[in-house]
Formats: sequence, structure tokens, C-alpha cells
Amino acid sequence: MAVSAINASHEAVHARYEAVDSLYRETRDIRLLGFVLFLCSDVVLFSMFIFAYLYLRNSVPNWPPITKGGVQLPRFDVAFACINSCVLFGSGATMHFAMESWKHLNKAAFNLWMIATIALGIGFLSGQAYEYQHVPVTWTGSTMGASFFTLTGMHGFHVFIGVIYLITLYIQANRGVYTGSKYFGLTAGTLYWHFVDVIWVALFFLFYLW
Amino acid sequence: MDLATFEKIVASIGAVVVFVFALIGLRGEWPKTGLDDNVTKLLLGLMAFGCVLVILACFGVLGGGA
Repeated sequence: MAVSAINASHEAVHARYEAVDSLYRETRDIRLLGFVLFLCSDVVLFSMFIFAYLYLRNSVPNWPPITKGGVQLPRFDVAFACINSCVLFGSGATMHFAMESWKHLNKAAFNLWMIATIALGIGFLSGQAYEYQHVPVTWTGSTMGASFFTLTGMHGFHVFIGVIYLITLYIQANRGVYTGSKYFGLTAGTLYWHFVDVIWVALFFLFYLW
Repeated sequence: MDLATFEKIVASIGAVVVFVFALIGLRGEWPKTGLDDNVTKLLLGLMAFGCVLVILACFGVLGGGA
């Protein structure tokens, strides 16, 4: 597509976005700010747990830590985590294109991208469940295991809530709740899904790569 | 070929694909100036960074060469 056509398309999206009554525009802006602040509060929540993990990690001379029996715990399975990370990052990309499809009034593409996003989200959760069964640590056996299950569990819970959120958005969008001008719920859902992606970037680095 | 090698090959291909899609999305978002657009830019950029981490891990640069 030519650059001029893309620009014209963006201008049409922007014109539709602005073509709402003043009350809706005002509340939309406030809700958007509130949602971004909610995401900031979630960043604080994860940051607290991450710093606790860093403290625990730096309070022992070796990492992975050595158990009471003198055996050093193995590292987590990087190869499988790489695949699971790709699944989650891929779902972020599909969610972005679902949002763009909605903005450009392409409902068929929106449905397709949304279904792909939901499927990838469920795929990530399934991968995490599989990993929990095969991971070489337990919840109570070491600080490494406790940190791992706490942080990845909290993230997994966010993904679980996100999948339910996305399914709700999909149903709402197909029942006519959102229009080409009024789609704040979809915007919030997209931001939330990108957020859980980005949190995983940090967790992936901390637990598997560092 | 062992399972870990196969997983790393699949993951590296997937990461490259997602990285390209993230850059395409980022390029589309770049001219926009709304709050949600700016947050999306940041998050898409970090997602692309995550793909780079996956690629580096697959090639053994990060993650202890596992």
C-alpha cells in the first residue's frame, strides 16, 4: 500500500476517534489515564516481588543455590522457555493487529486476530502448566523455587485474567458494544495484554537468562 | 537432533517472525501521539527487545549457553 494511502487511512481512523460527543471524549480520556495508572500500579507490584527476588538471590554466594545436601540446583530449561516466550510475544503482536483491524473497520480480520490472540494466550498458560510439572524445584524447597513460583504464578494469573478479558471483549465486539468511534474497552484490553507481555520479558531474563 | 536443539530452532524462527511483526506494528504507531499510542509504542518496543533476548538465548549468547 502506498504511503499516501496509509496516511489517509490513519487520518480516517483519527477522524472517527474524534467524532464522538464531548462527554464521551472527556470520560474516555479520564478512563484511559486511570487505566494507565492501574498498569503503573501493577508495575509497582511486580517490582516489589522482583526486588525481593534480587535480594534473595544476592544473599547467597552461589546461584542456583546449593541445597542442605550439598547439591547445586540446576538452571531452568531455557529452550522450552524460549518457545513459550515466543508464544506470548506472538500473542502481543496478534493483539496489536486485532486492535488496528478494528480501528480500520475490518471486523473479519479483527475476529481472526482476536481468536489467534486468545489461542496463543491459552497456549502460553498450557506451556506454563507443563513447565510447573517438570521444573527441577519446588515451592517450599528453596528460595529459588519460592521466587520462581511466586513471580511466574502471579504473572500467569495476570495472563489467565487477560484471556478471560479478551474473550469478554471478543463477545462484546461481536454483539455491537463497540463501534468505529467508541472502543475504549478494546484499547484497554490491548494495553493490558501488551503489559503482561512486557512483564514476561523481565521474568524471562531474570529466571532463565541471568 | 535432541529436543532442546529442536526447541531452540523453533523458538528462534518464532522470535524473528514476532520481531518483524512488532517492528511493523511499531512503525505504524510511530506517527501517532495519543497517550494510548505512546504507551503502545513503549510496550511494542519492549516486546521486540524480548524477541532479541529469545534469539540471543537460542544462540547461546545468554542463559549460560543452555
